[in-house]
Amino acid sequence: MSSDHAHEDAPPLTEDIAPGTAADPAVGGPDRATVTVDGVEVTVAAGSTLLDAVEAVDTADSVPALCSYDRQEIGPRSECRTCMVETEADGIVPACSHPAEDGMAVSTDAEAAAEARDVNLDLVLSNHNLRCTTCGKNGRCELQDAAIDEEVEEPRYGVLDDREEYEPLDDTSSFIQIDRNKCILCNRCVDACNDVQVEGVLRMEGSGQDTRIGFQSDAETMEDSTCVSCGHCATVCPTGSLVEKGIEDATTIPLPGFTQKNSIGKSVESSGRSKGPMTPKKRDADRCESGDPSANGSTPNAPAAEDVADDGWAGFEGGEWP
Amino acid sequence: MASIIAAEGPTIRISGAGSSPDLLSVAADADVRAVEVGSTGVPALEPLVTVTDGDETAFHTACSTAEMDTIVASVAAGSDVRAAEPDAVAEHDPDTARFPAVDLSGLGGDRRRMLGGAGWRRPTNPADHEAAGGFGDPGPDAVLAAGEAIHGRGWGDICQDTPLTPTWETVRDTGGDPAVVVNGHGNPADALLLASAPYDVLDGATAVADCVGAEAVIVYASTADERAVETVREAAAEHPEGSPAIDVVAGPAEYRAAEPTMALEAVEGNHRLEARIRPPGPESVGLHGQPTVLHTPRTLAQLSASLRDGDADATRAVTVQGDVAAPVTVELAASATLADAVDAVAVDGEFKAACVGGRFGGLTRDLDVSIAPEPLTDADLGTEGTVQILAADRCVLEFVGKRAQFAADENCGRCVPCREGTTQLAELLRDIYDGSYAPEDIEELVRVMDTSSICAFGVEAGRPARTALAEFEAELQAHADGTCPTDSCPETVEVT
Repeated sequence: MSSDHAHEDAPPLTEDIAPGTAADPAVGGPDRATVTVDGVEVTVAAGSTLLDAVEAVDTADSVPALCSYDRQEIGPRSECRTCMVETEADGIVPACSHPAEDGMAVSTDAEAAAEARDVNLDLVLSNHNLRCTTCGKNGRCELQDAAIDEEVEEPRYGVLDDREEYEPLDDTSSFIQIDRNKCILCNRCVDACNDVQVEGVLRMEGSGQDTRIGFQSDAETMEDSTCVSCGHCATVCPTGSLVEKGIEDATTIPLPGFTQKNSIGKSVESSGRSKGPMTPKKRDADRCESGDPSANGSTPNAPAAEDVADDGWAGFEGGEWP
Repeated sequence: MASIIAAEGPTIRISGAGSSPDLLSVAADADVRAVEVGSTGVPALEPLVTVTDGDETAFHTACSTAEMDTIVASVAAGSDVRAAEPDAVAEHDPDTARFPAVDLSGLGGDRRRMLGGAGWRRPTNPADHEAAGGFGDPGPDAVLAAGEAIHGRGWGDICQDTPLTPTWETVRDTGGDPAVVVNGHGNPADALLLASAPYDVLDGATAVADCVGAEAVIVYASTADERAVETVREAAAEHPEGSPAIDVVAGPAEYRAAEPTMALEAVEGNHRLEARIRPPGPESVGLHGQPTVLHTPRTLAQLSASLRDGDADATRAVTVQGDVAAPVTVELAASATLADAVDAVAVDGEFKAACVGGRFGGLTRDLDVSIAPEPLTDADLGTEGTVQILAADRCVLEFVGKRAQFAADENCGRCVPCREGTTQLAELLRDIYDGSYAPEDIEELVRVMDTSSICAFGVEAGRPARTALAEFEAELQAHADGTCPTDSCPETVEVT
């Protein structure tokens, strides 16, 4: 090992990463635990959640756990709440982020838990572009799988189907197409980009119905972002929201002239500027041009805010809104 | 600086922000002792000028500069406090450190123990607070004992409606580098305490910090409550003890920013606020990953009053607002009823209903409910400490629809039952105008938001709609049939 590669004084790579997500505590029980799921005893390793136990047995009811990924350093986001189960000790809890502790008893078919999973899945669908026949992920979509498994025929809150309400497709990158109308905000792409690839490109931004996946560089489009086109975001995306270019129509039903792009109406196209095989290297794109990168008092998971300015909090520094 | 409490000779106190500098200068010109104190919580009476001489205090409400001239002249001439024709006079212990009980709307009763310093002591003057028995050193055992009987107040408190001591013990046992956060964001009584009696809050906070071994106290409040932020910052700077360090942080003026984990996100400096997953809660993994106690100023002021007087959990602060001439914050015995709180205001019109317990409180017509947490919860009302009055011409559907839309607009966007649920709730309520009233659908949605949202925002966001369904069924149905009983909806749709 060459000492040339030891940069003890160098800041961690994650220092400037601002994913816009909460600094969640580590979930998972402290010890190896034996849990009863629908009457079946199952022992799970230390650090496990109730979902690990639920997935280890043949449960009475199915538990979609739609937003759960739970591999690499991704999740649990515990956002979609389609994994609600009933526990004796704590009532109805999300299995994906509730620690498995010794002696817990879980039932998946308790009425209130089943209702919560069912309603929450319909709520996810209520804000989803359900034009599966023009979607490049048709047939390999986790939301589609969950909806089929749960026998959703007519989601009680409908689906996003008004062309005026669609966000334009971001078709600017040569490598990845973004259709935010299909995003379920599971946050996997943000975790993959920031925690696994340590690229710091994607972030969660906005609030309420305006919550969306955006770019930490404040770029408007994928093309203008600091993306290095590693593709990890598209790999982990459970729906057709992030799809590799070239296969965005791979699984559409072949109706002449009807494609993913024109099914929505509007799309943002590439500027046509020649940029070579990749978007500009991150270090070349001066990420810190809008502020002093040293001024912040935040944790690794709640990082510096100087180069982001959404929600009208521009100029805010480290825990103080003057 | 000397204390104004039990001072020799007459003292004039000017309470309430705004015109104080003018009134103060009148007194200064005549070389009469006058001091500026914080708001009493009853702004309708302010500027409130009191003249205290020995065991008597005269009260002049909504005092003008002309009246102030008369008062000052009377004091300068050495006249009786009654000579300047006050609106009320009270007799009291000449050394009283609390606002004396007086027969003025909102200030009656003898229960002002937590708010006693408000309008009586100079908010940032340590000598006044010390004369009132403040800056005690109760010791961890006394604090733990007192916390057994006190329940946390407000949705921004990690001990909402539960005793404090078990949480402190968790923080102490978790080890690490514990922190104490005072969450003064968003509630009018909390802002009032920080602006008018900050040392009562800080006493509670430092007592808890000593008890759990925390070296830092962080006071967090909304940028919208400028006076609270400025006052508590000045009070912290004047605090006689150096340890623990007291820091003041202002957070964004968003409703959701009061939620305990979002408060921690704001203090840590995240540019975007969203709720954190629990468990584990902040008492185990809180500020910067360290075990954290997070209480509202109301909770801490109760603690400091209890440590001083040994009279635990005895009162609650209630802010009455809405269709009223002027909002007030009153302190009442926990056994008092909502009706007692409403008595402190002048209702603007005929009383129809109250939304009890914060932005996402429950609707009720019945005010014969005790303000203690259990009776409120049993009646499906909130315990946040606010009562919003709806007068007779206020349409319930419009009211709950706006609350649902507010929830849809202001949620953090993290979890589906809250983010999408509030949107669908607003839609279901809007559908009533189109003749489609589906109470079962609304109940189902609200039930799931309640059982599966990450934080209290989503858990409580459906309560206005749920209680309206229970209490105002006929009024909602009438809208589905094409009429608004209060005739106040801008556009009622003809249904054929």
